[in-house]
Amino acid sequence: MKDVSNMIEFGIEFVPRDLYWKTTFYAIQAEKIGFDYLWITDHFNNRNVYVSLAIISAYTERIKIGLGVTNPYLVHPVVTAQVVATLNEIAPDRMVCGLGVGDRTTLQMVNVKQTKPLATIRESVRIIRDISSGKSLEMNGEIFTLLGARLNFKIVNPVPVFVGAQGPKMLALAAEIGDGVLINASHSKDVENAMKFVYEGMERSGKKPDDLNISVYTSFSIASDYDKAFKAVVPVVAYIVAGSPEMILERHGISCEIADKIRDAIVHGQWKEAFSCVDNAMAEAFSICGTPETCVEKIDRLVKAGVNQIVAGSPIGPNMRESINMIATQVFPQFKK
Amino acid sequence: MALEKIARNIPASLWSEASEKLVEVILNSPNASRMPSDLAKTILYYWQRDQLATEVGLHRLLEASMILEPEKTVSLMEELGLTEIVTMLKETSRQ
Repeated sequence: MKDVSNMIEFGIEFVPRDLYWKTTFYAIQAEKIGFDYLWITDHFNNRNVYVSLAIISAYTERIKIGLGVTNPYLVHPVVTAQVVATLNEIAPDRMVCGLGVGDRTTLQMVNVKQTKPLATIRESVRIIRDISSGKSLEMNGEIFTLLGARLNFKIVNPVPVFVGAQGPKMLALAAEIGDGVLINASHSKDVENAMKFVYEGMERSGKKPDDLNISVYTSFSIASDYDKAFKAVVPVVAYIVAGSPEMILERHGISCEIADKIRDAIVHGQWKEAFSCVDNAMAEAFSICGTPETCVEKIDRLVKAGVNQIVAGSPIGPNMRESINMIATQVFPQFKK
Repeated sequence: MALEKIARNIPASLWSEASEKLVEVILNSPNASRMPSDLAKTILYYWQRDQLATEVGLHRLLEASMILEPEKTVSLMEELGLTEIVTMLKETSRQ
């Protein structure tokens, strides 16, 4: 057993690209083996996140389930508030709302710009929190205007809002206004750096450590063979590199030119070209990838950086079912009592 | 012969192994989109309740596996040494 707090929670992220029943099958498996949270991504070009969460909530009983994450550029925050309030009826006290600025590459496909991200997220969190709590909201914000909007049904209880963040200002804002922060990183260097801004945001709002769930949202690929784990993680890493800010690319010695090249290839559907640009160094920087022993070492570094929840994000591994079982048998015993 | 009856002929000592292998065939099938939604929901129901390695669970897994991967299903039963089941499945396929 590693020398870490037994308060560490584990989350798992699924991308609803698979058939609904497969995602639900893995969700049931994740609940059975002891994951604490289950996050479903929201991209317009995959299966719908809300529908996926509705069916998953019907086939699970304990695991917390969350939007991981939605964005206010494609979905108005009142709609998000309506959805999370409804889902929280189906899965009482299990629903979590994850919100972020969205995936740059996917939004680019529909010509949506991530304008004024800080103001957009700050106002969205207020709207989601107030509306999903049953309050009536009048608001004349920089981005959104609400004229006494409220839901016409009774609210069970408030839904925690987690804010996804990567850059310094968004990390501080997430910690300031969120019930949880989802740090979008996989490398301990990035998480250690992010924690400075998380603490800054907590200080700004007078939060104590117990007031904020600090989660790290990793790209994760586990297999008994490194090459298999690497091969599975390549497409996800390509998307991350394409969407990462210059500052983070520089921290890992990745050129902006190669990131631009990958982004351009993805936008034009040239997957082979995009994925061929991904090397081991990129996978090391932007994922937890490898054998169980390697994954445990990398998770341990993140835990020591001060996070409360490790989210094993897509792809999980080359064989989803085997990889989930591998986490249960070879990773959890190192961190969970 | 009905798959329900065929499933009843799988010895209890092999329920767990047969169930594991059938699930693997189903989840990794390139024909997964052929899965009828009602059958998928029934399998999820049994999976949630830890009943896939039972007679009723195996019946549904066999049904799905025969829709998605009939040849692999027969091979799997051969690997498990279930020659009687193999014969029954082949008969069912011919009908």
